[in-house]
Amino acid sequence: MAKYVAKRLLLTLVMIIIISFAIFVALNNTGVDPISFKLGLDNYTPEAAAELREKLGLNAPLVVRYLRWWKDMLSGNFGYSIAHGYSIRSGLIAKWPATLEISLTAMIVSTVIGIGIGMLSAIWQNSIVDYLGRMIAAIGNSVPEYFFALILIQLFSVRLQLLPTSGRVPAGAVTFWDRLPNLILPVAALAIPMCGNLMRYTRNTMLDVANQEYVKLARSKGIPEWKVYIKHVFRNSMRPVVTVLLFRMTLLLGGSVAVETIFSWPGVGQVLTQAITASDYSVVMLYTLMMAVLMLTISFLVDLFAALLDPRVRLDK
Amino acid sequence: MSDEIILDVKNLSTVITTDRVPVRIVKDVSFQLRRGRTLAIVGESGCGKSVTMQSVVKLVSRNYHITADHVLYRSFRSGAPKEYRLDKLAPYGRVMRSLRGPEISMVFQDPMMSLNPVYKIGDQVIEGLLQHNPGMKKREAWARALEMLKKLGIPAAEQRINEYPHQMSGGMKQRIVIAIAMICDPQIIIADEPTTALDVTIQSQIMELMKQLQTEDRKSIILITHNMGLVAEMADDVAVMYMGRVVEAGPIQAIFENPLHPYTQGLLKSVPVLGMARDKPLIAIPGSTPNPADLTEGCEFAGRCPYCEAACLRGVIPSFEAEPGHQVRCLRSAHGEVN
Ligand SMILES: Nc1ncnc2c1ncn2[C@@H]1O[C@H](COP(=O)(O)OP(=O)(O)OP(=O)(O)O)[C@@H](O)[C@H]1O
Ligand SMILES: [Mg+2]
Repeated sequence: MAKYVAKRLLLTLVMIIIISFAIFVALNNTGVDPISFKLGLDNYTPEAAAELREKLGLNAPLVVRYLRWWKDMLSGNFGYSIAHGYSIRSGLIAKWPATLEISLTAMIVSTVIGIGIGMLSAIWQNSIVDYLGRMIAAIGNSVPEYFFALILIQLFSVRLQLLPTSGRVPAGAVTFWDRLPNLILPVAALAIPMCGNLMRYTRNTMLDVANQEYVKLARSKGIPEWKVYIKHVFRNSMRPVVTVLLFRMTLLLGGSVAVETIFSWPGVGQVLTQAITASDYSVVMLYTLMMAVLMLTISFLVDLFAALLDPRVRLDK
Repeated sequence: MSDEIILDVKNLSTVITTDRVPVRIVKDVSFQLRRGRTLAIVGESGCGKSVTMQSVVKLVSRNYHITADHVLYRSFRSGAPKEYRLDKLAPYGRVMRSLRGPEISMVFQDPMMSLNPVYKIGDQVIEGLLQHNPGMKKREAWARALEMLKKLGIPAAEQRINEYPHQMSGGMKQRIVIAIAMICDPQIIIADEPTTALDVTIQSQIMELMKQLQTEDRKSIILITHNMGLVAEMADDVAVMYMGRVVEAGPIQAIFENPLHPYTQGLLKSVPVLGMARDKPLIAIPGSTPNPADLTEGCEFAGRCPYCEAACLRGVIPSFEAEPGHQVRCLRSAHGEVN
């Protein structure tokens, strides 16, 4: 197992280097010049641009700049936004907690509700719970996050005036409870689609497993139905469900870009939108790299869970 | 004493609904299992042997609809026999569950699919044991499981018991499935093709073991099989099924020496039977198995029967007692024209 983990980590490292280089090259070839953003229309002259470029070290060959970038990253110096001049540490890195706050909350909420209702739908197939669950799943699966965001705002903020439409920390907020109202709508917008997805996936996987011969054999031992469902059906559904759950995490972060913009939530999504339009590669680069690291970590976790949950995987290694 | 009936099934029928189309898979099946005896159920693939037995113990899914005049199980376990109407019990209720394992257990047909891939062999064998013996320590159960694996001739049982199903061969899995069925010392073992995945020597070893248990403990066995050699070796009684019906039933001598139903006759001519006339050529039954959904009226075998006449195509063919204990569902037996 230790050897396997080491191998995976090494592979992950190699992947990160390849991906970051690809992004670096791609961002250098978009044709949009971040320098022009920095100078603004009024101050832009070819001479000023050339001078600034020299000062920022942008004239060095691509590979040199790429290596220099790595050196900066490793020394903890994340640099500055080329287009807007802010320090990336405070402008991007410091925004992660806000983004993680809504996406992790959304993930926990949708995991509990999605898997819970999915299980009940499978156990009580064709019951009221099942029909309601399937209806929610169908809606959640076909409607994107930002659409829910707009509907939720319309309903709860505009019509009912119950919840705020934007911001993370309301003026004068002290405790978590003061901040909770601001959290509800963005989390709901993110959680509903994910919930629908997990519900449907859990239900279908469990129904699939419930038809297996080994479940029949388990029943022939005379064990109670709840044990059949927990020990045999659910236990065997866990591996596929956990896999889907982890991969949804990256989609959740993607979805949060739109949701953050709609709710003026001060997270990385907002920063990213801005940076992309300016081809601000030092910012985009780091964001993309962080996402890549996250994805690779997740796929690593997926493999790890597969090995933990399934002896067929574990003992093959 | 040898004629104590331990399982008495009367007019059991099962309708399976798939995509809203109900199909009668088991039709008015009646049979009796004698205590300490083996009843063999034979018939070609798809005739409903497995569905019949699963309906008896109600290990069925929601799209099965089961009816019966009665399914009576008589437990001789402690003192005075205790009777259970299986047809009246809730399929997964407390009473039915208390019977599954210690009273009636099943060896399922497909050993490759019958074991849960995520649990160790040992844990799967002791699960039933712990369920039916509250207070039993896991260690004790584990020791019992180990003993059972050894009894079933599993080499390196101490190591095997800690392995997972995917680490085992088909024959090994088959023995594990049998161990699971036997661990609670059941009164009836329903064995659905229990030895198909095993090679011939192991096959007879396992059968020998079952036979031994039977004579020592007066266990009763229902053996579902295609293998007529096995039937000849093991069975006391035989029920021949065709398209969801028992077409002929009786003691083994009666069935083998004096088969009355044209299907039984064809069946015996089409398979090699150990110890029977070796020089006779094997003859396949002409025609092919009908689709159970297409059948409407009359004798199910009519389309393939050389003796079919107009009366065979109407109504339900009743069962006739040709000789004591030997029933046949064929109009020819009513006329008394035999063979
Ligand atoms: N779950 C099910 N849903 C629908 N039809 C089924 C189901 N199980 C069995 N059948 C049908 O019932 C009929 C009898 O099946 P069964 O498995 O009892 O046959 P069998 O006699 O055991 O055959 P074999 O010797 O191949 O095991 C078949 O036509 C089969 O297609
Ligand atoms: Mg079968």
